[in-house]
Amino acid sequence: MVTLDASNFTTRELNRRVREAIRDDPDQHITIINPRARHNLAVAINNHSRVVIKGSVGYFAASQMDGPEVEIEGNAGWALAENMMDGKVVVSGDAGASVAATIRGGEVYVGGNAGARAGISMKGGQLIVRGNTGFMTGFMMQKGRIIVCGDVGDAAGDSMYEGEIYVSGEVGSLGSDAKIELVTEDELAAVWSALELHGINERRSFKKIVSEKKLYHYDTLERFEKAVI
Amino acid sequence: MCGISGIIYKTAQKAGSAPVGRDLIVMLEAMTHRGKDSSGVTVAGEDTLGGLIVRLWIQDSEWGTDLLNSVESAVRAVDGEVTSRDSRGGFLRLGVDSDVDISRLAGLLISITGVELHSIGRSSEVIKDVGTPFEMDLRHQVTEIHGTHGIGHVRMATESRVDISHAHPFWAYPFPDITVVHNGQLTNYHRLRRSYEDRGHRFQTQNDSEIIAVYLADKLTAGATLKNALEDSLEELDGTFTYLVSTQDSLGFAKDKWSAKPLVTMETNEIVALASEEIALSAVMNTDIDRAEPQENEVMTWSL
Repeated sequence: MVTLDASNFTTRELNRRVREAIRDDPDQHITIINPRARHNLAVAINNHSRVVIKGSVGYFAASQMDGPEVEIEGNAGWALAENMMDGKVVVSGDAGASVAATIRGGEVYVGGNAGARAGISMKGGQLIVRGNTGFMTGFMMQKGRIIVCGDVGDAAGDSMYEGEIYVSGEVGSLGSDAKIELVTEDELAAVWSALELHGINERRSFKKIVSEKKLYHYDTLERFEKAVI
Repeated sequence: MCGISGIIYKTAQKAGSAPVGRDLIVMLEAMTHRGKDSSGVTVAGEDTLGGLIVRLWIQDSEWGTDLLNSVESAVRAVDGEVTSRDSRGGFLRLGVDSDVDISRLAGLLISITGVELHSIGRSSEVIKDVGTPFEMDLRHQVTEIHGTHGIGHVRMATESRVDISHAHPFWAYPFPDITVVHNGQLTNYHRLRRSYEDRGHRFQTQNDSEIIAVYLADKLTAGATLKNALEDSLEELDGTFTYLVSTQDSLGFAKDKWSAKPLVTMETNEIVALASEEIALSAVMNTDIDRAEPQENEVMTWSL
């Protein structure tokens, strides 16, 4: 158990100390106090570990990481968990715009609401939002799953390629090339069990937003792909 | 990228009772990573004993006797009287007794060669300079100015020159006390500006943000409420924007339909604070207070 007081360090030094503590003990528990909404906290952690941040964080918190569990007791600014390869990020309050941007694996859970472009360009993994998400949720999403227990804003699923956005509340409007599909029983069960892990036990109904696949020419192969065939 | 901030002491009982200058400097200094080209604030709700505050600036010069005489004769020409005078380098702050034709006074002042008019207010003034908020504070003692509300800006220039003229806030020439700070870019600026110039509005800079101040003043003069004017701007301004506006008794914001530029708000029974980032709010307010992030097409106003 290591406690780091963020007010004593530059962000670079704080992140270096986090990585150092984990390097020597991969099961390390680290607590960061006094984050005061600073940017780039707990970034680039590439080992298994558990980091608890007591307070709100700024932009790019817990970004560029592969493996750890990060818990934020407060709010997060823009681009929380951006580009995560694997791991788990839980924020108790709200998350700003572009939460879980381009993640390739792992899970991001937002206890409050998330801002615009939630799950933008996701390439895998899962984003769960207990409240609402804003404009252009799942914009250009390529893989993975977004679950929103509240409402999503306008232009939901705009230009998405693959993946699914499950919405329990209202959909403001659909974006370009997005459509609503019926949810199968298996899918609904999977969504419910994902929510149960966060203590959400109500059996809500969900609609599913997927790509209509008219915007992109999926039958056109890349040059190297043609060479392979 | 730029940083914007605003604060209003909603329950302030009298003018000049809250440390608005200090609050704005502290919030802006916490956001200097969003821009270090220039800094600026409007402190509103100052106690001016019924007079006007006039803020002037002159490039590459100081306020010598000839210039000061020109300014004083402009004030006399509208039957006004200079009640106080404070000059620092190219900056000049004048106290003028009220009941003058503000529009005419503004016209006379900017016709003096090289003079720029940063603001005329019944209870507010614009202070802006190149450099960081702390540097500005060292030169202008902003932290000592008390009021009831205000707005501020740190600039990372994208659309026009880095100098004092193009720093925010922008005053809605010649409408007293209406000023704006903006984060974003307006893409219909040139078309809008031509239409306003055709109708006789004057612009002092080449900065696209200046048009927001003129736009709002035009709407308010035509009888719109501040909230209606902000709502109309969501449709009529094109581009990306989150901007804040300060008037004689109100503070407001508008956020564009793309939700492209950040804003975080915190509200207590007494105070509302707004900033591009929570890091600025936590610098002046208790962070246990719930904050909210406005979404696309959102406007809000608060009044004293």
